Formats: sequence, structure tokens, C-alpha cells
Amino acid sequence: MLNYIWAGLIVFSLAFALVTDVTELVQDRFPNESAVPAAVSFPEGYDADARRQPVRVTFDDETYRSRFPDDAPDSLASSYEGTLVQTRDGRQVRLDAGPLPEPLATIRSFQADEDGDPLRARIDGSPRLDTGPVAVDLRFEPVRFRKMNDIAQAALTFAETAASLALGFIGILGLMLGLVKIGEEAGLVRALARFVQPVLSPLFPGVPKDHPALANVTLNLLANVFGLGNAATPLGIKAMEDLQELNPKKETATDDMVMLLAMNTSSVQLVPPSLLVAIMGLQINQLFFSITLATLFSSIAGILGAYGLSRLRRFRRSNPMLQRDDA
Amino acid sequence: MIEILRDVVSVLSYFVLPSLLVGFPLYGLYKGVRVYEVFVEGAKEGFQVAVTIIPYLIAILFAIGMFRASGAMDFLVDVLDPVLALIGIPAEVVPMGIIRPLTGSGSAGLVADMIQQYGEDSLLVKMVATMFGSTETTFYVIAVYFGAVNIRETRHAVPAGLFADFIGFIASVYVVKLLFG
Repeated sequence: MLNYIWAGLIVFSLAFALVTDVTELVQDRFPNESAVPAAVSFPEGYDADARRQPVRVTFDDETYRSRFPDDAPDSLASSYEGTLVQTRDGRQVRLDAGPLPEPLATIRSFQADEDGDPLRARIDGSPRLDTGPVAVDLRFEPVRFRKMNDIAQAALTFAETAASLALGFIGILGLMLGLVKIGEEAGLVRALARFVQPVLSPLFPGVPKDHPALANVTLNLLANVFGLGNAATPLGIKAMEDLQELNPKKETATDDMVMLLAMNTSSVQLVPPSLLVAIMGLQINQLFFSITLATLFSSIAGILGAYGLSRLRRFRRSNPMLQRDDA
Repeated sequence: MIEILRDVVSVLSYFVLPSLLVGFPLYGLYKGVRVYEVFVEGAKEGFQVAVTIIPYLIAILFAIGMFRASGAMDFLVDVLDPVLALIGIPAEVVPMGIIRPLTGSGSAGLVADMIQQYGEDSLLVKMVATMFGSTETTFYVIAVYFGAVNIRETRHAVPAGLFADFIGFIASVYVVKLLFG
């Protein structure tokens, strides 16, 4: 199941990215082949010899909208600030990485190596520039298969994040596991077991009174309540072995076994899982209440679910305890 | 009424971690446990656990990261949102509901991913963190517990476990809305 979901995520990402990319190419979303008309002016006057100078770029509202109908920018700013750079290959406008209209913002993030990089555009031909607004054609770098690029980048970034996150957890995990170990050694679970056991008894009707199975069931469930994950699993397996002894048909789960599982997976949590504390840090203080409350509901649902389903004819027929009675 | 509940929770919440931090050692001391040595012994496992979960985190995070980057996540949210809005559940938490019963460490990665996306304080993160804390890796537990005693016919264990998970999922959303919304 997990295999399909995991592979599905990856394959679906690829398919989705491919469809988006191809659609953008077909609809000609980015000015890959054509130039974008604009006007440039120089707030500090034009200096033909300066290698770099501030420039102001203006797009005509109507022309821009008709070129990029799909992006339909809400509002074009009256002008965009940038730098005019003279290079050997011609003149280049570098628009500052502020709020740019789509699709220019996307072109910028596609070609940018870092977050703050400017949007680069070549001025087509060699029009004569002077201080006042001069009409020019801007050529942007072509944008193709940007989503392909994005998903590959995301995979690398997130793989790195995963490792550094996990290593960052070491400290808090150690703290929590240390505390929990003290609880374990101090016999916290055993001390509470005798109070809880009588309450649990009616939920496990297949276990005779005073049978040791109930003690292990209680210990397992309590270990879960206190977040003692390391202790809970061996106790749970022990409880299962005890229940298996009472089971006349060794390959089929009894109602009690299912009840133990359902309560196990939904049990009330008084101590949040160590891993969650490591992830959430101090926020766990508040989440304690939401987790306790939510588990209260899921516990009730687990008990009612296990009991209710066991009453269904289908599961009653497969009940190993009843089959013994019939025979 | 809800206001009072929220106030009580926000005041009490200052005491949760401190009472754990003090409560366990104090109780241990009372029971005659060599608390310092035992703490250190337990804390040793921190490194082990962190290293163990790395492969799971990588597996889930990179897949979820690709899914997000491709725009498929936004699409999914757009499609599910109108339907789920009817019962007051944000579509962003759905991936958690699907992945939680299948992998524990992987869903921890999902919480970490949501923190990066929406910030630690956001309701969405509180919801998924509550889901993480309130349900178990049902399929794993079933595999381990039944595997240990060679049970092959699990009868209603899977539906019962998933039903509890589902209620825990819904309850997490509403409880977080109630307490922090």
C-alpha cells in the first residue's frame, strides 16, 4: 500500500510537471521566441560610456496584457527599477527582484541562481538611448521545462533537509528518551496497572478473571498512554502471546486481540511522542491538550469500532472462540 | 465557554513540559531509581533514533517535495477543498491522514514539511501535529503484533484500526479549531 502511494507521489509529480511544462510551451506563455516591447528611461540621465547605470523600465498596459493574456496581471506598476549594463554582447537590463508582473516573475525565479538575483533581459538591436523614455524590445532568456527543473531541485533540497532535520532532533530526542527511561525504570506503568485493570476487564470478555493475560494487556496499554514506546512493543507482544494461549484457532485473531490492537493504535496519549517533541519544540506545550482530547475520541472510536465490528455476522462467523463452542 | 476553555489551556500549557521534566525524575527518585545514570542511558538512544529515521524522512520528504514543486499538491488542494470545506476540514491535512497509518517516521517528515510551508504557529501545523500525536502507525502495529504470534486471519483488525484513525483525524481538526481557532 505504502509502496503504491510513494511511487504514486513521484510518478504523479513527474506527469503533472510534464503536462504543465508542455502546456506552457504550447500556449507560448513565456516570450521564448519573441521580444517584449517596453520603454526605458534614465532617472539620472543617460551616460553612453557608463558600464552600469540605473534604469527605469515601463511596460505599456495594453500591449503587455495582449501579449500575456493568461497571466492577466492585476496591476502593472508604473515602472520597474533596474540596472543597465553594457556588455561586449550588447546592452543588458537587469530588473531588480522586487514584485515583477507574471510571467516575468517566473522567468526571474527560473534563471536566478539565488533568491535575490535580478531578472536579465537583452535589449534587441542597438537603439539610440537617451534620458527620456525610449522604446526598446527586451529579449528574455527562454523558459522551457521549468517544472521539470523544479521537481528535480525539490528532490535534492528535500533529501538534504531530511538528513539535517533528523540530526537536529538528536538533542531533544535524547532528552525525552532519557526522561521516559526514568519512568520505565521507576515502574510507573506497574504502579498504575492495578487501578486500570478492573476497568479494562469488561472489554476483554474472552480473558477469564485473574488470568495473567489481562495484566500484560493493561501494562501494554498504559505504556502507550505514557509514551513509553520502547517498553510498549515488547509488552504488547507479550500480551498477544497470552491471548494466543486462550485462542483455540491459532491462525485467526480473536475479538480480544483485535480489541487490543484497536486500543493500542488509538490510545490516549498523556506524554507526547518524543519525535513530535523534537519536531515541534516548545509548541508541544499547547499540543498536549489537543492530542489528549483527540485521542480521547479516537480511543472511544477504537473500542466501539472493534466491538461493533465483532458483532457483525461476518466477523461473528469467523470468531475462533464461538467456533469452539459450536464444535 | 470556549473562551474560558482556551484561557485554561493557554495557562496550563506553560506547565506541560516543566511537569514532565520534573515529574519523571522526581517520581524516579521516590522509587529509588538511580535517576542520573538511567537518564543518560536513555538519552544515548537519541542519536540512534535520529539516525534510524533519516532514510524514512528522506523517502517521504523528497517525494512530498516533488509533489509540491510540480504543482500537483496545489491542484489536489483545489480539487478537494470545496468538498472538504463542507465538513470544515482543510484539504492541506489530507496527505497526513493518508500517510499516518502507514509510516510513523514518514509522517513525522510530513509535519516537518508543513512547518516549513506554513510556519510552526499555523493551525494547519497544529492539526497535523495533533494527528501525528494522536494516532499510531496502524499497519505497522498490526504487522508486528500479529506477526509475533503468527496470526494470518486478522478479521476486523484493519477496519477497526482505520476507523479509530479516521475518527482521530477528524477529531484532531475540530479539537485544534476549538482550542486555538
